[in-house]
Amino acid sequence: MLNSDRISSLFWLAAGIGITLLSIKYDFGNFLSPGAGFITFFAGALLSLLSLILFISSGKKRGPQSDLKALWKGLDWKKVVYILILLFIYTLVLKPLGFLIGTFLLLIFLFKVKGSYSWWKVLLLAFLITSGAFLLFQVWLKVQLPKGVLEGMI
Amino acid sequence: MDILNPIFFGFSVALQPFNLLFCFLGVLIGTLVGVLPGLGPVAAISLLLPATFHVPPVSSIIMLSGIYYGAMYGGSITSILVNIPGEAASVVTCLDGYKMAQKGRAGPALGIAAFGSFIAGTLGVIGLAFFAPPLAKVALKFGPPEYFALMVLGLTVLTFLAGGSMLKSLMMACIGVVIGNIGLDLITAQPRFTFGLDVLLDGVGLVPLVMGLFGISEVFINVEEKIGQREIFKTPLKGLLPSLKDWKQSFWPMIRGSVLGFFLGILPGGGAVISSFVSYGVEKKISKNPEEFGQGAIAGVAGPEAANNSATAGAYIPLFTLGLPSNAVMAILLGALMIYNMPPGPRLITSHPQLFWGTISSMYIGNFMLLILNLPLIGLWIRILRIPYPILFPLIILFCLIGAFSLNNNTTEIMLMLFFGVLGYLMKKFKYDGASLILAMVLGPLMDQSLRQSLLMSGGSGLIFFTRPICLAVFVMVVIIFLMPLLPLIGRMRKSVGTAEMD
Repeated sequence: MLNSDRISSLFWLAAGIGITLLSIKYDFGNFLSPGAGFITFFAGALLSLLSLILFISSGKKRGPQSDLKALWKGLDWKKVVYILILLFIYTLVLKPLGFLIGTFLLLIFLFKVKGSYSWWKVLLLAFLITSGAFLLFQVWLKVQLPKGVLEGMI
Repeated sequence: MDILNPIFFGFSVALQPFNLLFCFLGVLIGTLVGVLPGLGPVAAISLLLPATFHVPPVSSIIMLSGIYYGAMYGGSITSILVNIPGEAASVVTCLDGYKMAQKGRAGPALGIAAFGSFIAGTLGVIGLAFFAPPLAKVALKFGPPEYFALMVLGLTVLTFLAGGSMLKSLMMACIGVVIGNIGLDLITAQPRFTFGLDVLLDGVGLVPLVMGLFGISEVFINVEEKIGQREIFKTPLKGLLPSLKDWKQSFWPMIRGSVLGFFLGILPGGGAVISSFVSYGVEKKISKNPEEFGQGAIAGVAGPEAANNSATAGAYIPLFTLGLPSNAVMAILLGALMIYNMPPGPRLITSHPQLFWGTISSMYIGNFMLLILNLPLIGLWIRILRIPYPILFPLIILFCLIGAFSLNNNTTEIMLMLFFGVLGYLMKKFKYDGASLILAMVLGPLMDQSLRQSLLMSGGSGLIFFTRPICLAVFVMVVIIFLMPLLPLIGRMRKSVGTAEMD
């Protein structure tokens, strides 16, 4: 059984050591003339120390609640990964495709993640929300949203 | 009557049509995000922050403040009708509010919550007007060591109140300090933790960080859950106005809740949450019929609702007088004020009186708006509660995406937000607290600056923090707070507040 606190404390321990070492590189300075890495050195060192305490104390915890696998048990974690991939792709295509087309497509996929709506309902919702958001942010709040392939047309 | 002149001046600012409109928008959006589960005031404020760059700073702060106290009231609607707190500060309202609804008294419960919030908000604003200016005068005498000590105290109190593990909360504070110091060093202009990425030279933006940690991660957590349809109270609502008997039972709990909430709100860390718990505990303790609590006692709604509302007013005191945020919302407001070139601190009241007094007066007007807005609009809020989550979450994601992009018209900010979204999701899974990370991130650069200045002042001696009386007193308090969880009673109280926040 993998203990969740044990795993996370190891991660933060590595992060803490990394921060401490980088802070020395950025110039710790001295107490008379503290350098750029002064406060982050202490933050990193304290993080390492606290992680170590958590690592040691987590050894005493037993039971299903501290099990790493239990954190995702009975949950639909694949949907999280799916949404994350969708959002990553959206970020990449937002500028070339433009806000209107990109968002319309993204919403279609997102509405299908948890809902079991008919296609026409999904298309209508995606269309209404995309145009509503465009009106609110681009027209009213003057946010410069990317126009992409529709540049010159809108 | 010196105090009245600035208050009148404040009203003259707040009553300008443009500011009234923004106040109205703020309380409306606030109630909406309070009603909607999965979108709290922290995410909503950070989301709207970039959009407010186009309006005058005073109007913008008036609106963002409206979102904050509006959300407190919106949260209680869901607590009473659905038994799901829209806000951590409304957790206690579930206990008696939902029971009242089950007994067919949802109307008076909602009504007393609205009146309680209004009375408390009003008292809170009066308290703010009286206490902030003298405190600001005292704060003018503070030097870098005092500021550093106060920031350490703020972080300590927050990690203490954060619930869950104090150790993990402290770890997040350390990470927050490091994230806050990413970018060019203010003194040497040396890049720190940028890993060659130009986008990080200016530091990590507060907006993508908050929207990732609080907005996107919340969506991830909800999406993977197999939630059923929410059970919404179906009995028609009638008689929103509480009866005379209800008023008699609620009046003193409201007043006590307001005073308690205000002073607990001043303390750094989760003021609104803890004050609602303390108010409930006090009312139950002094009640002649404590057995009615948990069974639909109206005092159990009135007290905590008043407390969480006046705590929001109290939370402005450290921000406006010391420039120190006491919770995540205040941290975002601090960020906003920095962007508007109005650094908060003891000089804010004299250098930008229109901002300070205008915001305070708008809070009074906003509370009045909430009262007249919410009683007739409850039907609308109930309808919004019925929006199914499969439709709601893409909307939340869309707002976050636009909010992040509009910061610099740059997709890199979206990438940053997604990174923090994943981090926030994992932090929630592994039970790490996001609020202490945000607060430490905002305080990080200020801590760095005041620590270095203090050491320069003392010629490199750390003793400066223990030879100045205020510093010494503050550090003694820090030590006491660290030792407090060892007391069994306080340990139990921390746990109950923490569980409520985590849930």
